[in-house]
Amino acid sequence: MTVQELFKKIFFVEILKGMALTLSRLFTKPVTRRYPKEKRPAQLGFRGLHALVRNPATGDAKCVGCGLCAAICPSRCIYIYTSEGPDHQKVVDRYEIEVLRCVYCAFCVEACPFGAVVLTPHYEYADYSREDFYMTKEKLLENWDKYMGEKGFEYFDKFWNPKSTHFTTPEGQAIWRRKSG
Amino acid sequence: MTIFEFLFPPGSFDIFLNIIIILIKIAVVIGVVMLHVAYATYFERKVIGRMQVRMGPMEVGPHGLLQPIADMLKLFFKEDIIPEKADKTVFYIAPLISLMAALSSLAVIPFYEGFVVANINVGLLFILAMSSLGSYGIILSGWASNSKYAFLGGLRSSAQVISYEIAMGLSLVGVMMMAGSMNLSEIVKAQAEYPAGIYAIPQILGFFVFVVAAIAETNRAPFDLPEAESELVAGYFVEYSGMRFALFYAAEYIGMIIMGCLAAACFLGGWTVPKYILAILPFLKYVPGIVWFVMKVYFVIFFYYWIRATLPRYRYDQLMAIGWKLLIPLALANILFTGVIKIMVE
Repeated sequence: MTVQELFKKIFFVEILKGMALTLSRLFTKPVTRRYPKEKRPAQLGFRGLHALVRNPATGDAKCVGCGLCAAICPSRCIYIYTSEGPDHQKVVDRYEIEVLRCVYCAFCVEACPFGAVVLTPHYEYADYSREDFYMTKEKLLENWDKYMGEKGFEYFDKFWNPKSTHFTTPEGQAIWRRKSG
Repeated sequence: MTIFEFLFPPGSFDIFLNIIIILIKIAVVIGVVMLHVAYATYFERKVIGRMQVRMGPMEVGPHGLLQPIADMLKLFFKEDIIPEKADKTVFYIAPLISLMAALSSLAVIPFYEGFVVANINVGLLFILAMSSLGSYGIILSGWASNSKYAFLGGLRSSAQVISYEIAMGLSLVGVMMMAGSMNLSEIVKAQAEYPAGIYAIPQILGFFVFVVAAIAETNRAPFDLPEAESELVAGYFVEYSGMRFALFYAAEYIGMIIMGCLAAACFLGGWTVPKYILAILPFLKYVPGIVWFVMKVYFVIFFYYWIRATLPRYRYDQLMAIGWKLLIPLALANILFTGVIKIMVE
């Protein structure tokens, strides 16, 4: 044992260093965010509560009931019921999402060819019953009005790369779809 | 002889008055100390929180100042659960033994000049004896709970307290030799006349041994093996809940305050300030003695928290090795050293 090591051992140099560190931390500002009082805004493109995009022209949902979102959904939590209308058009009767089963992968948003479904940045929707998390078409449209509104289109186009406007994959991005043939 | 004279013989009025004064003193001391216990928990959570760059309690009252009161109310109204297979009588008595031992040590502590509930000549011995009695509460609670975690915690705690008591007693011998008394007021007065003003300077070795032994004696981090959360859930008081748990908690914090008072009285000069400091800053003599004493106690308690926020828990064999192979030889060397110097000076 060298003299230096002996000195360190006798005077507890390492413990004293540790104590100096804790004492210096005592005078720093805490990093705590006091959550319900200080809310942290969600980052752009945050995948929160679901919404159906309201078409400003008709006032109804943009959804045409093609069912691609339901088909790609890995947790199978989207239910779509359609019927034939008077002019032989497709009418979406019910569009429902069971939010408690959703994994927030946003595949539905990517799959939609009309940009009709989106995940909003809203994340505080704790509630008391299972029924409150079962989103019907009316509730989903309401979510759009509440959490996205008019500015939602801009936000949506910017961060969700919807298939209604951008049909091709951005250059240089890996493609997960299997090549045909 | 009338009945009045029989009941109150001459001079009985003085005795009666003395008893009332003592009772008032006891009430004041217990009231103030209990308030300190409540706010020591708040102070601890704040200090450790800030050291870990957190905030500590913030919700109840401004800056969480009413948190101890909320905790106390909660503990008071909680259900008192007693395990079915517990030894009921011992289970009831154990927390009372701990608390009684801790509270009665307060009787001999001189808070400032002339204010001491019982100015006895064996003050130091009394405190050591009471802290030994306190370990009965711990081991009895561990035994009576009839649970392996509580039992292991109780065993560990008693082994630890017994081994560190020796080191602590020996570390105080140097102070007794220098002061020539075991009366705590006399020790403080002897320190005031000593050139260095506080015994922590000549007795630096004894002070070190005392501080380490005091941390172990009160079962606090880094020597909190009796309540090692990861192994023993909570140690000897696992099975206690509500008010009985609060009694153990209060006993632990009173123990801390007593160790702080002992350190202040025996090593840091009690209610006095060293003469050379008074010579430089003469206005300090207008500060009342109780303020100095309380500030010294707070500093020692803060030091406890500081240690707790810094060091991880020791292993059990390390704990025993520190106690028997480091602190006891150091304390013995300190006694020898002090004795030799004292003989040479005289």
